Amino acid sequence: MYKYIIRRILVFIPMLFILTVLVFALILAAPGDPFTGKMDPNVDREVYEKQREALGLNDPVHVQYWNWLKGAVRGDFGDSLIYKGRSVSELIAERLSNTVYLGIFTIFITIIVAIPIGIYSARHPYSLLDYGATAFGFFGLAVPNFFFGLVAIYVFSIQLGWLPAQGSVSKPGLEGLELFFNKLQHLILPGITLGLAGTATYMRYMRSEVLDVLGSDYIRTARAKGMTEPVILYKHTLRNALIPIITLLGLEIGILLSGAVITEAVFQYPGIGTLFISSIGNRDYPVIMTINLMLGLFVLVGNLLADIFYSIVDPRIRYD
Amino acid sequence: MNLKNRWFLLLSFVLIFGVLAACSGNNESSSTNEENEKDAEQAGPQKGGTVIGAMDTAPSGQFNPVFYEEAYEANILDITHEALVGQDKTLGFIPQLAKDWTFNEDHTEVTFHLQDNVTWHDGEPFTADDVVFTYKILSSPGYIEAGGIRSYYAEKLLGYEEFSSGESSEFQGVVAEDDLTVTFKFAEPNVKALSDAAFKIIPEHIFKDIPIADMPAASASRNAGEVIGTGPFKFTEMVQGEQYVLEKHADYWQGEPYLDSVIWRVVDQAVILGLLENGEIDFVAEPNGFQAADYEIVEDMEHIEIIEQADFGYQIMGMMVNHRAKGDMTLDPSKWTVNEKLKDQKVRQAIAYAVDRQGIIDGLLYGKGTVQNSPIATQFWAYDDTNPPQYEYDPEQAKELLEEAGYVDLDGDGFRENPDGEEWILNLNYPTGNQLRERSAPIIEEFLEEVGINIDLRQPKEAQSYFEDLEKNAQDWDFYLLGWSLDSTDPDPSGLWSSTAAYNYSRWHNPDADALLKEASTAPDAFEEEFRKQKYSEWQVEFGEDLPALILYAQNKLYAHNSRLKNVDVLPYNFINKTHLWYVTE
Repeated sequence: MYKYIIRRILVFIPMLFILTVLVFALILAAPGDPFTGKMDPNVDREVYEKQREALGLNDPVHVQYWNWLKGAVRGDFGDSLIYKGRSVSELIAERLSNTVYLGIFTIFITIIVAIPIGIYSARHPYSLLDYGATAFGFFGLAVPNFFFGLVAIYVFSIQLGWLPAQGSVSKPGLEGLELFFNKLQHLILPGITLGLAGTATYMRYMRSEVLDVLGSDYIRTARAKGMTEPVILYKHTLRNALIPIITLLGLEIGILLSGAVITEAVFQYPGIGTLFISSIGNRDYPVIMTINLMLGLFVLVGNLLADIFYSIVDPRIRYD
Repeated sequence: MNLKNRWFLLLSFVLIFGVLAACSGNNESSSTNEENEKDAEQAGPQKGGTVIGAMDTAPSGQFNPVFYEEAYEANILDITHEALVGQDKTLGFIPQLAKDWTFNEDHTEVTFHLQDNVTWHDGEPFTADDVVFTYKILSSPGYIEAGGIRSYYAEKLLGYEEFSSGESSEFQGVVAEDDLTVTFKFAEPNVKALSDAAFKIIPEHIFKDIPIADMPAASASRNAGEVIGTGPFKFTEMVQGEQYVLEKHADYWQGEPYLDSVIWRVVDQAVILGLLENGEIDFVAEPNGFQAADYEIVEDMEHIEIIEQADFGYQIMGMMVNHRAKGDMTLDPSKWTVNEKLKDQKVRQAIAYAVDRQGIIDGLLYGKGTVQNSPIATQFWAYDDTNPPQYEYDPEQAKELLEEAGYVDLDGDGFRENPDGEEWILNLNYPTGNQLRERSAPIIEEFLEEVGINIDLRQPKEAQSYFEDLEKNAQDWDFYLLGWSLDSTDPDPSGLWSSTAAYNYSRWHNPDADALLKEASTAPDAFEEEFRKQKYSEWQVEFGEDLPALILYAQNKLYAHNSRLKNVDVLPYNFINKTHLWYVTE
């Protein structure tokens, strides 16, 4: 097992390296640079030309890449070209925590809502609640994030005043428990908005998996042996039904940590997603590179975690 | 951008329903509100209270006036920092940190006498040395390399070249005569001396030991509580990307501000109106205000006041009169080649007559814009609204002009051929990013095809690619859409429209026009405003006749604020003005 994990982690290195080469080539191939869009009639083009030169943007591509790589392996990802005087690490760190909170919160509500309802639906198919859950499932998948987010803001923040509409915290200087609950409050609306589609998906998966397993031969055998329903359900059914869900969750972790551009924008929740999109628009090369590297790592780790969980849930799966 | 605007539409729907549902309740409460307000107004300004402003994008986090670039930082710095001179409603220069000034005989020197009771937010006195220091930074070698772009405030100072290149270590441009007297010395008589003196001053005692290359990253340039200015409010706390808290500077030299604090919150465009309605935010202003499409919704909010004023800027449809060869990055008109397709002045004039600009304003901007006939901001004394050709929408006139120029439809396909009888297709290029501009492109196409001009409407490009092509790869372009924001300090349009300006993307080369621009800013005649006005008027006529670009529209700025916020006294270019006099009625 440990050998397997170490082997997998070693494979990450060449993969991430290839990723950085590809991404670097792609973003430099895109037309324009951070200064193309800056057009202040008072400012001479020469000023921008000097700044290009100073930032090394006029160097050949391989030199630029080498400079970036040299820093990156030492953990120095350089300074943002747009956020003047701020390092890439600082920019990302500031937003990563928000993204992680939102991701964890979203996965948490997805699981606690989707799995019980999915199980219930499978155990009582074609009941009223099952139909209700199905309807909710279609709604969750069909309604666009930004729309749901705006309606949620309108109803719960503007009309009812229950929850904050924007941001990740209501004022500077909060500490301890107060800060925790304040942040939690700010997570509720974006978390639900972001988790909506996921919840609907998992609910449907869970329902069909549990139904599938419940109809299988070994469950019939278990019943014939006289096992009680809870044992059948939790010991024999659930474990098997969870396998595909774990695959999905593994991927979902990577996706959630890459930020949720639309949800973040609607709620002005400062996370990685909006930073990533705006740096692409601005051609903020060091930021794009670093976020890409990080996301690549998240996806790989997410997959690795999913593989490890398989072996826990399903003892037949062994990695040697 | 696309997404933002879509959210916007949707929210408008939601809002309309909400307003309908909540209608009866609102009326009752508003009448009592009004009574309360009347009482409060009679009582005069009150101390205390907080107002919350909204901006739709977070500042990038650089709060040093010397290095910041964006309008979002400006929202904060306009409150926390001050310059020697400010501007009034007619854009004339008025005393700020300087109480008065005198020019020497030939306008090569201007001496400012400073206010004597000014203190920095940390209690240190403000002196002439701070002024010298600020301009020294702007002139220093390495300033541009460190990311600064404001060297143009210092370029005309005496000895700028030598000092900024590092040849000389003596900074002679700005000299402190004593603690409260400072003299600006220029290499040549400077017509724009007061514009140049309108730069926000930074404290020497904070920055003097920080090497210029490290200045943008220094905590005094970035951290709330460490950013020090002389303005009525100090920047004390923030949640980066979300909230910026400015608290009153009790020792402010123009008197203690009434408000305790001004807070900026970053709020998505689509949510601003909702929060404005329920009172969570008090005002929305620069840089984007609120959208014209929502005007009526905001107008219906009882407790919200709208301020509408012309913008410093306009959208153009540029006409490529000449092309610059590929790879040529110089600005030498003698190397340009004429764009045969647009070389006839009559054709360009016909195009101007063919586009119904008022129609575009009414349709796209809900009437919240103005037709402008010359590229000088309408608020300036230099803007001439009568002499330049007005180009009222007149398709018949357009057709006539085209016939006169020899562009006639020979093969009966509805489109005109050029005087040689060959196919004549003009392409129209535009970027994505500004929704209104994007939507104007197909409308313009329709107007032009109506008078028989065959238009090739090209696929819009993402902003960065578009600007790169506009600069380097526009050899086959005819029309381009673009917007300009203008400076409010001086009307001189030569940065955009002189033939050697980098931003003269039309590659317009008209020696008469160039000569007029030059005269208008050459001493000694140009010290007379009347003289400049006359020259700029002549130039505007020249521009209008030669038409290197059709000015499509100038969008109005729409600010909104809660009526509990009193003493709002906007400038033509800014909502933020005399914030120490703002007060609230609860």
